[in-house]
Amino acid sequence: MVIEVENLVKTYGQIKAVDGISFRVNQGDVFGMLGPNGAGKTTTVEILEGLRIADSGKTSVLGMDITKSANKIKQKIGIQLQAPALLPLLNVEELLGTFASFYKNHISVSQALDLVGLQESKKIVVKNLSGGQQQRLSVAMSLINNPEIAFLDEPTTGLDPQARRALWLVIEGMRDKGKTVFLTTHYMEEAERLCNRLVIIDHGKIIAQGSPAELIRNNFAEKAIEFETKIPIAESILKSFKGVTRVASEDGSTLLYSNDVTSTISTLLEFTDKNKETGQLTNLHIREATLEDVFLKLTGRNIRE
Amino acid sequence: MKAFRALLIASFKQFFRDKTALFFTFAFPIIFMFIFGLVYSGEGNISYDIGLVNQDISPAGLATAQGIKGIPIFKVTEGVLEPTLAEMRDGKYKAVVVIPSDLAGNIPKGEVSYVKVYYDPSDMASQTILPILQQVVQEINQQLSQSPLLLALTEQSISAHKFGGMDFLIPGILAMSILFLGLFGALPMVEWREKQVLKRLGATPLNRSTVVFSQVVYRVILALFQTVVIILLAHFVFKVNMVGSWFLLFTMVVVGTLTFVSIGYLAVSRAKTTESAMPVVQLIQFPMLFLSGVFFPVEIMPSFMKPIVAVMPLSYLGDGLRQIMVAATPQNSIVLDLVVLGVWFTATALLTIRIFKWE
Repeated sequence: MVIEVENLVKTYGQIKAVDGISFRVNQGDVFGMLGPNGAGKTTTVEILEGLRIADSGKTSVLGMDITKSANKIKQKIGIQLQAPALLPLLNVEELLGTFASFYKNHISVSQALDLVGLQESKKIVVKNLSGGQQQRLSVAMSLINNPEIAFLDEPTTGLDPQARRALWLVIEGMRDKGKTVFLTTHYMEEAERLCNRLVIIDHGKIIAQGSPAELIRNNFAEKAIEFETKIPIAESILKSFKGVTRVASEDGSTLLYSNDVTSTISTLLEFTDKNKETGQLTNLHIREATLEDVFLKLTGRNIRE
Repeated sequence: MKAFRALLIASFKQFFRDKTALFFTFAFPIIFMFIFGLVYSGEGNISYDIGLVNQDISPAGLATAQGIKGIPIFKVTEGVLEPTLAEMRDGKYKAVVVIPSDLAGNIPKGEVSYVKVYYDPSDMASQTILPILQQVVQEINQQLSQSPLLLALTEQSISAHKFGGMDFLIPGILAMSILFLGLFGALPMVEWREKQVLKRLGATPLNRSTVVFSQVVYRVILALFQTVVIILLAHFVFKVNMVGSWFLLFTMVVVGTLTFVSIGYLAVSRAKTTESAMPVVQLIQFPMLFLSGVFFPVEIMPSFMKPIVAVMPLSYLGDGLRQIMVAATPQNSIVLDLVVLGVWFTATALLTIRIFKWE
């Protein structure tokens, strides 16, 4: 066990940013903390990094108490902040070299560049890097001391899909090397793909935890049927369809969770055939339930709301 | 130590790649020197247009007129009273001198004749013209009365070398550069705070004191570098030589830089953004500059301002540098200059440590 958190509380004035959460992270986990903006993810991470002091609760990192051994812990963890916080006029190589000098033990700049695939850009001045390259550099900075745990706070926020995928490969590379990664994100598909364990956090509280598969299985035995109609069909009618367990709507489209997809769809088609005023079914598709669905079920909200 | 060196090198790399910072640190004082150099080089060729009305054509009157015409920096035009006065009002003359018609008649009788000068008190030039005329009239008076010269004044500067306008200015420009370098020295720190670089550094095992120490040392090295550039320029272009001890000079520069860096840090210790820190620094920069004896001699300031000048740290840096660089007359002893700067440094540094916000 490399991180242990018990009953952590942090308030800012009236707001309870973190409201009594507890969790554990094991050696080699890619541990995800999922939640919408303002859920308390960053506050939690920054307490673990020694950047903020909790009001109450027990936090131990690598077996040490964060409030007592902050500097010892900082030698052994890698940190990526939400803001890239780089020195804009240094080039990639120089910046990594500067950060390397802060640690007793570190990998070479060239090794760090290889980890994030920035070897070709090492002479580029930081301010001329693309957003994706800056994020990758920021991750490289967090890995320069060959950390036992890497904390990555929303590393892919604001990146285009291609840059996001490139960063996923970096994190998967770390996972394959057996490193512990603590990742916060509000992208469900990211957590689903990368994390072996995760907690879902909302309003400073943990509302679910487990592996992505467990979370989905525990919340949904059913599949999701998603479609749009010109006029929404009343929920009471939808609920009466064969196989339907839950109904939800999201961005103007309707979601049916069903444990008998074939029957549900045929009933749905029959209904729209008889009631022409609802209009044609559009964008109809069937998919497995995802973490997104779990979040919607647990909070009644979409994670991006 | 490894981290300190890396941060110091990183700061210099950033500095030399930042064109704006480079310009303000080096080009700005140099441009300043050339502008003032131009102003002072013009002073030797100054001449004043003077109207002369001679109402006495006796030998005594003509001799007096000749005496006035002989003053090297006067360009004298003779004329009749009324038109000449009218021309003066139009700005053609800085002053009009009238030699009275009773001059020849009064001399034998031993009575006083008055040479009248019309001048414009609002014109700064009259402050130069009047004493010159006074002296010339005095000399002519002496010759006319043929009294022997019993007492005379000869001038002997206590300075070993000729003291020109640039001698006063160059130490002032150096003091000003140190003021700017110091006060603006904290702005990168505000930028680091704003862009969360300080937070990022705080997430590493690096000590905060290492960060601050590297930034301060970086500024001091820049100041020494700037000093050398200004002194070389003064020597080769303006023929102003550094006459004092280099050790004292560098000590003064280091202590001065520390003082103003500390004041700069204090000023922005709570500023959230560079945009909000900038006006604060500018607001303290101008009084610091103009209420010090750096560009204007303390003597010409109104008396109510003298106590303010007497506490401004730049006054002491300027005084110290002037003594060391061009052997100017001391306002204070160099030890006092250093002590006052040291007190400013200690007081502001202690206050900054108390109120500086890291994040």
